[in-house]
Amino acid sequence: MVEVPNSRLTRYIVLLVVTKVLKALGIFESYDILKVVHIVQFIFILKLGSAVILLFFQKPFSSGKAISKRQWIKLLKHAVFSCIISLLGFFGLTLCGPLRTLLLFEHSDVVVIALLAVLFTSSGGGPSKVGGHRYYTTALESKTLPPNKKTVLDTASEGHHDSALTHFLYTAIAFLGVADHKGGVVLLVASLCLKVGFHTASRKLSVEIGGAKRLYALDNLVSAVVLLPWVIVLSATTESKVESWSSLILPFGMIILSVMILEFYVEAICNTKMETPRCARYGAVALFLSALLLANFWTHPLTDQLRSMSKPAQQLSTEHVLSGGVIVSAVFFIMASSILSSPSKKGQKGTLVGYSPEGTPLYNFMGDALQHTSQSLPRFIKDSLKQILEEYDSRQIFYFLCLNLAFTFVELFYGVWTNSLGLISDGFHMLFDCSALVLGLFAALMTRWKATRIFSYGYGRVEILSGFINGLFLMVIAFFVFVESVTRVLDPPNINTDMLTPVSVGGLLVNLVGICAFSHAHAHAHGGKGCSSNDHGHSHHGHSHSEHSHGGHGHSHGMNANMRGVFLHVLADTLGSVGVIISTILIRQFGWLIADPLCSLFIATLIFLSVIPLLKDACEVLLLRIPQENEKDLNSALEKIEKIEGVLSYRDPHFWRHSANMIAGTIHLQIMSDVVEQRIIQQVTAILKDAGVNNLSVQVEKEAYFQHMSGLSTGFQEVLAMTQQMESMKYLKDGTCIM
Amino acid sequence: QGTIHPFRKTHKSVFGKLKQEFRLVTSDRRSWRILLFGALNLLCTGCLLMWCSSTNSMALTAYTYLTIFDLFSLITCLISSWVTMKKPSQLYSFGFDRLEVLAVFASTVLVQLGALFILKERCVCLPLTHTQTHSGRLLVGTFVALFFNLLTLLSVRNKPFTYVSEAASSSWLQEHVADLSRSLCGVIPGLSSVLLPRMNPFVLINMAGALSLCITYMLIEINNYNAVDTASAVAIALMTFGTMYPMSVYSGKVLLQTTPSHVIGQLDKLLREVSTLEGVLEVRNEHFWTVGFGSLAGSAHVRIRRDANEQLVLAHVTNRLLPLVSTLTVQIFKDDWTRPLLSGTLSSSPSPVPPLGPEGYAIPPSSSALPPLLSDPLTSTPSKPSSPPPEFAFDTPGRNVQQVVLPAAGHHAHGPYGGLGLAYGASPYAGMLSQGVARPGMPSSQSYRTAFGAPTLPLRFGTSNPLASQSQYRQYQP
Repeated sequence: MVEVPNSRLTRYIVLLVVTKVLKALGIFESYDILKVVHIVQFIFILKLGSAVILLFFQKPFSSGKAISKRQWIKLLKHAVFSCIISLLGFFGLTLCGPLRTLLLFEHSDVVVIALLAVLFTSSGGGPSKVGGHRYYTTALESKTLPPNKKTVLDTASEGHHDSALTHFLYTAIAFLGVADHKGGVVLLVASLCLKVGFHTASRKLSVEIGGAKRLYALDNLVSAVVLLPWVIVLSATTESKVESWSSLILPFGMIILSVMILEFYVEAICNTKMETPRCARYGAVALFLSALLLANFWTHPLTDQLRSMSKPAQQLSTEHVLSGGVIVSAVFFIMASSILSSPSKKGQKGTLVGYSPEGTPLYNFMGDALQHTSQSLPRFIKDSLKQILEEYDSRQIFYFLCLNLAFTFVELFYGVWTNSLGLISDGFHMLFDCSALVLGLFAALMTRWKATRIFSYGYGRVEILSGFINGLFLMVIAFFVFVESVTRVLDPPNINTDMLTPVSVGGLLVNLVGICAFSHAHAHAHGGKGCSSNDHGHSHHGHSHSEHSHGGHGHSHGMNANMRGVFLHVLADTLGSVGVIISTILIRQFGWLIADPLCSLFIATLIFLSVIPLLKDACEVLLLRIPQENEKDLNSALEKIEKIEGVLSYRDPHFWRHSANMIAGTIHLQIMSDVVEQRIIQQVTAILKDAGVNNLSVQVEKEAYFQHMSGLSTGFQEVLAMTQQMESMKYLKDGTCIM
Repeated sequence: QGTIHPFRKTHKSVFGKLKQEFRLVTSDRRSWRILLFGALNLLCTGCLLMWCSSTNSMALTAYTYLTIFDLFSLITCLISSWVTMKKPSQLYSFGFDRLEVLAVFASTVLVQLGALFILKERCVCLPLTHTQTHSGRLLVGTFVALFFNLLTLLSVRNKPFTYVSEAASSSWLQEHVADLSRSLCGVIPGLSSVLLPRMNPFVLINMAGALSLCITYMLIEINNYNAVDTASAVAIALMTFGTMYPMSVYSGKVLLQTTPSHVIGQLDKLLREVSTLEGVLEVRNEHFWTVGFGSLAGSAHVRIRRDANEQLVLAHVTNRLLPLVSTLTVQIFKDDWTRPLLSGTLSSSPSPVPPLGPEGYAIPPSSSALPPLLSDPLTSTPSKPSSPPPEFAFDTPGRNVQQVVLPAAGHHAHGPYGGLGLAYGASPYAGMLSQGVARPGMPSSQSYRTAFGAPTLPLRFGTSNPLASQSQYRQYQP
């Protein structure tokens, strides 16, 4: 333990530890008792006993306000749930033995919630919690490793069962196909989660009723009442294994006291006096350690005594012995609970930039960090859907994606239905291809995001990058197809052509729809925004026409690399379907097995060739080349700029395409000293705007600028020394001057 | 319109060019080594692919992709040595530094796509029959691949990848290994020097892949448990993803022309300083991004007061930003510059004398740089806000607005430039030096003010200046 408990708290810690040890003792004893007493009876007695004691202490009826009818109903529900949970818990106890039950079931809510938070939200808190989670899972795994004991399952399934309930649980566990101790582990974990959820849910009720203690007392009472009819029926129908109830009074009293009453009160006190995580940590450590010790030294005095009078000692072999795995897992559990319950230091994601005049620290949050946390998921999905449907491109992709996915799932379901492996594998291929569509859709969506501090030009470039990635994707696909078909050319396998035709025809139809939609989209986009400059379209126009014969491609040479990538993907799929159909026909008609690999070889080459222009264009944009279609315009614009009156020369002309509809540029101009800078800037901006540059920075320099610059930079060294001197002065002054 | 023609032609010349560039690269002795390793790598990859098909092991295939990645990284290395020899051309005005970034991005993305293919294959094959894996060459292949990978990694100095692996955020695998080793160091403190420093991600993934392959081999040999091959293939693919993802994100962000997040603080500071400069009203449309790995480029629009001297402000802003941003363009912007009053007085007067010294200097100190003037109620200059300038609002992107009142029109235009010019004529740069260069050394705008608050400082402009200008102002107040 890191922090030293101060003297005031020591009392409570000692109390807590003692209670936990007693509780461990109680659980061990109840395990023994459960061997002879039926579980429902056992729980009934526990609930009844604790209810009597609590009624005596707490006086829930005489103190506090009256309970309404509605609250009674809630209370009833609450009691039923608590009965179910304790049933599950104690049933797990009979299956797993006391030590494992203690290790698994008796976790504090804090620990479990922290664990779940780590599991399900990545932001649960820091790597330390993840480490705790790792310990926890390791512990669970080492626990489920089979301890060396024979399964009770076989004997249990053939022997008689005490009741329908146990029978049901046994069969459920047997159905799951795990050994019974593993089933017990699963049961315990499930009931642990239930318990935590139950505790959280009952918090509201406890406020309503008037305090957790009153709720607890009433709950015990009501559950005893709930269980009463069952117990009566049970004791009427089955003969009891217990000879004398009187010998059990003492152990029952002890269990009731230690497990039900004392623990509840002490935990409540400790939770108020200390912080909950700390309490949980001490309690867990004490409980686990005492459980380990007890498991070692438990000599079953009670069972020996009971067994002599009740049953032959046939169950001796099923005793849960202490194995190495359990000890390891106990150690891991202790570590895990101490890590998980340690207070999480909430890391600030922002960086400290300084202090405000009032003295509070100021943090600099990155724009991305803020963006991620500010939206909830459903809202995000809703917003993105709305955005997707707003614009033409993304709407096309989205509809086609839906169509594709629908086809894929129909295929998969039909494949599972008819148990056809070919269909299933083809469905997976389609699903894989959909990933490219998803990428394109996401890029089309991102393109319209607002510019942030980091993405200062806006997100338009994402489209180009996505086109590039899609191009690489297609290259990889072509490569794999190529390699595969080369090996098949060398050794053509026998393929079954039965299912191929309908599937490929269906795929072809879907993809043809896609091609129509996207080529239309390109034409649209081309007509819509591509006409800012005159000789824009034809410089790129159809070198694809002569290379290969798909018509829509020429149009796809708009600037939208993303759509081009998606289009090429769809095209590749179409080609695949066509290839399959052709090769099926060839194989059916002529029995040319080699047709299939040859077809795929051809398709791979086609894909490869059609991707090259896309990749080349995307590369040029990413490498900040002067945009090809504006090259002439820009050159003539630069000539014009030189001829402007007053301009001496220009240097560092940088022009590049940033995104589909933005060409950015920077230029430095040297002008005569008697010219107004702003006029020059205006003229230059107008000229370059005509050439297509719509994000421009012009730096206008006169001779004065260079003289200033040389003046500023010569004396740098000596002034540096001066500033260092002033630094020391500044520290004294700082506090006052900031104010 | 022979649109196909230019493409073909360039294509042909591309091969010729490639040959020429290759010759250029090989002229350097260092690249011989890279080529040698590349040849070795090709050999090794071929062997491994053969063994992959003979063992029918998916895990080994996934591991072989790492070897192929090494090949890519060698190519990247060659490219980076080529890039250092190339000068910026007219078409590629920023030089070829970006090619390096693009190569890194492409190779990481390609490897991830390969891993994706592995995952897909597994998904497709999972419902199919379990393929029998022969463990024959598995272990040999693992060790050969590990040996070659480590040899390549450790003996070739791969500048771009080293940079990216250091600059990118640490990968999922690294985090977990660091976490594990931290808890291990809690038990055995002696290991802290070995385990605690940040691991090289490539070495890490090679080791982890080899480890999982060894486990696969053992399980197949001992238990004949063939499904483990699939599991370890998926594991290696996921680890590859985890390792490559941060790097492709980093290089992708460079390609997307984003402001690198680690310089944002520094940039903010500089921009705040710039916006407190004399005459500057606001800085806007600022775009800063990295050209290659490291060198920043950027542009910004600076709006200044109508009476401020453009060249002086430009020089100061450039001087302030140039140490950080090597390729910088600053556009100075003035409102209402067409109004004759101002422009007539300011700079379009056809004075034969170069007006740099007097005019360039007269305005800043006289207007508001001096503390006494700041508090003077009679001056028309907007006084600087005494609280620190507002933080840059992140939700209003690309804006860096400082709310400053526009100068009341014309007041300052009455300012006697000629008279001032005469007064300052003798000292063109003495004050300039101390004023201008004192600023860049100061870390923030606050200290900038502090420096001015220091009682000794006004003296550096010469004792007569403040009084003179002040009195002149008083004179000209209506």
